[in-house]
Order: sequence, then structure tokens, then C-alpha cells
Amino acid sequence: MARPVFGRGNEARATSRITHLDRDRPLVEAARADPQRFDALYRRYLAQVYNFAFYELRDHHAAEDATERTFLSALASLDRFEERARPADGDGASTFRVWLFRIARNAIATERRYRTRHPATDLAAAGAVPDGSDPEAEAALRDEAAEAWRAVAKLPADRRRAVVLRFVDEMSTAEIAGVLGRSEGAVRVLLHRALRSVAGDLTRGR
Amino acid sequence: MTFPGRDPEVDALRTDRYLDSLLAAGDRRASHAPADAALDSSLVAAANRLRRDLVRVHPSFRFEERLALRLAEAAASMRLAPAAGGEGSVTTLAVHRAEAGDGPGDDGGDDGIHPLLIRGALTSAALSIAGAAYVAWRRTRPASNASPMARAVRAARAGRVRAANARAGLD
Repeated sequence: MARPVFGRGNEARATSRITHLDRDRPLVEAARADPQRFDALYRRYLAQVYNFAFYELRDHHAAEDATERTFLSALASLDRFEERARPADGDGASTFRVWLFRIARNAIATERRYRTRHPATDLAAAGAVPDGSDPEAEAALRDEAAEAWRAVAKLPADRRRAVVLRFVDEMSTAEIAGVLGRSEGAVRVLLHRALRSVAGDLTRGR
Repeated sequence: MTFPGRDPEVDALRTDRYLDSLLAAGDRRASHAPADAALDSSLVAAANRLRRDLVRVHPSFRFEERLALRLAEAAASMRLAPAAGGEGSVTTLAVHRAEAGDGPGDDGGDDGIHPLLIRGALTSAALSIAGAAYVAWRRTRPASNASPMARAVRAARAGRVRAANARAGLD
């Protein structure tokens, strides 16, 4: 016999997730009807895509180029975007943000290939903007931020991407799974191992 | 740290739930980070460090507006493409000649169904139909109803035709 209580609970959770993941539907439909309205999606995700590119490439100019390529490509291929309920459904599954970040991942890889001969800028320079009220405290904060970033930069690529998407872009595990093409369980393990490595590095650094 | 005998996926799930609560606390601007006694304290400390130190950066305003302009230009070119009729498709619409009226070449021998290019070329097709209707109306309009200016134009044209015929020896 069916268990209606559990069934209703599961349905409610599934509906909630679908609503969350498909939150860009009105903007995507508007942009498909009139490409000029893609601007709303661009403004919503510019900083997130730029952050992802910046943490991966560690250079403002390279991050700008990758960001530009990402949005131009997304606009040109918006008709090919297929909305799916869950990234875990399969390879092609995505919401707009997941789909956009997959484009960004490819754009970043392309950008990295072009810039292999250029030295990367130290990410520590991108720390909190100082307000001048307490230079010593600011310097200490910058040192700590640089230390944390060095620990993250040492991680294998997939663990590093998972950390950036989780902590900087605040993606859910399901969304990261969609971007990286992994299962949600695999992403949870990636993040857990990444945190263990970072914790070890930070402890040794003291 | 993973304790011996514990399933690593269970540890990963517990860590993931802690991260959910940590990020949610950040959204609420909570003053204290959430605690989880069952989670390794070094993992909790590392998660809090990353939450604090992996700062968000924003592209420059100049870059944002320059890219917005490029996207707007690209979007405008995407809107122009359909207007050229490039994506038009051929479909069949029933047009009854009796309704359309008799005209030159109308032998009444076909079934009255003609292909019509729609979508991209719809506007130009509508203009062509309007133009044809206007010419047909002008041809059926009696000369006596023409305006004085039209009569003057026709008289001038007739004069030019007569002069040309005289030069050619036709008169």
C-alpha cells in the first residue's frame, strides 16, 4: 500500500527544487522573444560569471575576456538552451545558470590556453577594499585572505572549482553537479575532501 | 577528518549540510557562524575561513557597460535577420479566385490554392498586395474623375508621345 504522507512530502520537496532551479524562466522566455531583453540575464549573472573566471584565471583582463566570450556565446545560442528540472537528470540537464556556467567553463579553458605564456596576477591583490581606518588590521586580513587562497589554489582543478562555485557563487550542490558534469554525491565528496585539504594547509601554516 | 569505520559519503553529506547553514547564515547577516558538534572542528574552521576570505570581486563599471553595448548590438543584429525573410517558410493557403476577382491570366483551370511565403516576408507581401490593389483601382477609375493635376500630367505625356511619333514619321 502506498504511503501518502511520504509521497506528499517528496512531491513538495521536488516541486520546491524545481521552482528554485527554474527561477530564470520568465527572463529566458523574454530574451528568446526579444534578444534585447537578454540584458536582464546579463546583469543578473555578470558578477557571478566574472568571479568564477577571475578565481580560475587569476587575472582581471583574462577574466573579462572569458566573461565576454561567455555572454556573447550564451546570447547566440539561447535557442538551444533546454530547461530541465534537475541537473542530476543527466548530461544535458541544466537550468539557465548551470547552462551559463558550463559555457563559462569552456570559455575559461579557451582563455587559459591563450594565456599560458602570461604570468598570473597574485589574487591577494583582489582582497577587501581598504578603507584606511586600520592599515595593520587590513594588512593582516589581506595576508589571511592570501593564505586561504593559496590553500585553495593548491587543490586539484575539480575540487578548486567546486569550492569557488560553493563559497563565492553560492551555488547549491545540485547546480555545481550540473556545471561540473558530476553527480551530487560526487560533488559533496569533492567539497568534503577540499575542505580537509584546506584545513590541513591552514593548520600547518600556523 | 574522517573517522575510521564511518562512511565518507555520510561525512560529505554532513559537511554539505553545514555549508548550507553557513551560507544561509551569511545571507541573513548572522553575527555568529552556525555550529555542528558532530563535525570535525578543523573542517568547521576551514569552512568559516573560506566563507570570509574568498571575497567576491566585481568587474569594472566600464567593462560592464562596454559588454552590455556589445550584447545590445548583437541582439539588434539578431532581430534584423528575421526581417530580411531569411527564416521564412512556404505554406499553402486557400485563395478562391472568385473572391480575389478576375484578372489577366486567370483561366480558372487550377484549384485556387497557391503557396505563400509567410513569417519574415509577411510585411513585404502585404505591401505588394496593397500595391496591386491600388493599381487595379486606378485602372478602373474613369478619367473624368481625375484631378486637374492628373489631367495636366496626362496631357503633357500625350504631347510628348505625339512629338516622338512625329519624329519617327508615324503621324
